[in-house]
Amino acid sequence: MALTITCPICGKRNGYEFRYGGEDKGPRPDESGLTPQRWCDYVHLNDCTAGVQKEWWFHRDGCGAWFTIHRDTTTNLEVQSAEEN
Amino acid sequence: MFGKYKPLWGRKPRLKSAYDAVIIGGGLHGLATAYFLAKNHGIKDVAVLEKRHIGFGGAGRNTAIVRANQRTQENIPLYREALELWPVLTRELDYNLMFNNCGNLNLVHSEAAMHAARMNIASAQFLGVESHLIDAHQAKEMMPALNISENITYPVHGAMYHPPGGIVRHDAVVWGLAKGAAKLGVHIHQHTEATAIDTANGKITAVDTTAGRISTPRVLVSAGGYSAAIIHKMLGIRLPISVLTIQAMVTQPLKPILDHVISSGAYHVYANQTLKGEVATGAHMDPWPNYTTQNTAHYVKHQAEALSELLPCLRAVKFMRTWAGLADMTPDMAPIMDGNDPLEGFFMDCGWGYFGFKSCSAVGKYMAAYMATGRCPEILRPFTLRRYEQHRLMGETAALVSYSPDN
Repeated sequence: MALTITCPICGKRNGYEFRYGGEDKGPRPDESGLTPQRWCDYVHLNDCTAGVQKEWWFHRDGCGAWFTIHRDTTTNLEVQSAEEN
Repeated sequence: MFGKYKPLWGRKPRLKSAYDAVIIGGGLHGLATAYFLAKNHGIKDVAVLEKRHIGFGGAGRNTAIVRANQRTQENIPLYREALELWPVLTRELDYNLMFNNCGNLNLVHSEAAMHAARMNIASAQFLGVESHLIDAHQAKEMMPALNISENITYPVHGAMYHPPGGIVRHDAVVWGLAKGAAKLGVHIHQHTEATAIDTANGKITAVDTTAGRISTPRVLVSAGGYSAAIIHKMLGIRLPISVLTIQAMVTQPLKPILDHVISSGAYHVYANQTLKGEVATGAHMDPWPNYTTQNTAHYVKHQAEALSELLPCLRAVKFMRTWAGLADMTPDMAPIMDGNDPLEGFFMDCGWGYFGFKSCSAVGKYMAAYMATGRCPEILRPFTLRRYEQHRLMGETAALVSYSPDN
C-alpha cells in the first residue's frame, strides 16, 4: 500500500524515495563484554509489531538523512507517536 | 439443498477444556501437522485454532507453485520430500489436489547468473533432484510464447529447467488436509482466536482463546506471517523475522499458452497458467514491513511491463483480480522450526517467507514427529532458532530472485 514519509529536512514525500532501516532497537551495544546472544539480539531479532512501531528510515533518493518515525504497520500510515493508536 | 451443506471437515466441534496438543493457525502447516499427528502418531486429541477460516492466510494467497530447486543441502531434501508427497497425499486423503507436474523454468539473464544456475543445478542433482541448464533456444522450444530477442531489457541467456516441479491447487490442499485430519478426530476451530499462551515452571500449560481456556502440554505456533507477532506478544520471544506484504494477480482466462511455470529474478516476476486458463503471477514484496495485504499501483504496473516483455502475447490482456498475502522473512531465507526451547512443550514453525506452500506436506510430517516424540528429527535440526546467535546462517538467499528481509 502506498506510503508517505515525513523527512525532517524535505517534509512529506513518497515512501518509495526512502529505504527502510529496521525497527528502532536503541543504541548499538557496547563492544566490551558483548556476547553472541546480545549481538544476535541487536542485529537480527525483531518485535514484528502489528500496530504502531518506531523505526528507522533513510532518505535514499533525497537528502540522505537518517531519522525515525512512528508508523502503524497494519495501515502503513505514519503517526505522531506510539500512543496515537 | 443448501440447508444440507456440511463441510468436508464436519460440523463445528465444541471446544473442549483440554487437548493433547493445540495448534495455532489453521493454514497448511498447522493442518498438515495436525493430520500427521493423528495419522502417524496416534495423537488425535488435537485442536487447530484459526482466527478466521481455514486457508484465509498464506494458504489461499500463494501462487500455487511447487518446486525443490533450493540452494543448500539442508533445504533441498525437505522440499524434495514435500514434492514427492503430493501424489501420495492425493491418494491418502482421497481428495484431488490437482498436482499439475508441469515443471519450472527459471530464466537466466546474464553469464554470471548462468554460473550461479550451474551451482544450483549441481546441488540439486547431487541431492537427487532433477534440474538441467538449457539455453535460450531450448527454452523457446519448450515455451514458444517466450521472447528470446536481444531487444528487451534483460535478454534471456538460458534457463534452469526443473521437471519435478509444477503447480498444486492450494485450496484443495487446505480442504483435503482438513478433511483428513477431522476424519481422524482432530477438532478444527474456525473463528477462534488464541489470545494468550500460559506457562508454569518453564512448561506450556494452557492456551486462552476467544472461546475459552484450553489446558494442554504442547502448543505449535504455525500462523504464517502472524507467527512472529504472536510469539513475541504471548511469550516475549523475539524472532529474526520481518513481515512483508507480497502481491499477486491473475489475468483473464486464456487458451493454454504456458506449459511450464516460468520465473525470472531479473524481471522480478513469476507466472503460471492455472487449469482455468488464467495467468497467475506475482513476486513483489513491499520494501518495508507491513501487515496491510494491499496491492500497489506501483507493482501492478511493474508486473504488466515485465510480463509483456517476456511474453509479448500477453500485451493488452487484462488483470482480473489482485491480492496480497504476508511473507515472514528471515535473514538467511530459511525457516525456523524449533521446539522445547526455551519452553518445554512450545513448538514453532515459521519464517517461511514465500516457501510455506511448497514445503507444507513434508514439514507437517516432521513437525508432527517432533511434537509427538519431543525429539527433533534429523532433517529439521539445521533449522533451529539458535543458528542466528551461533552465526550459522544458511546460504539460502542465493536460491532466490532478488530480495532480502529489508530489501
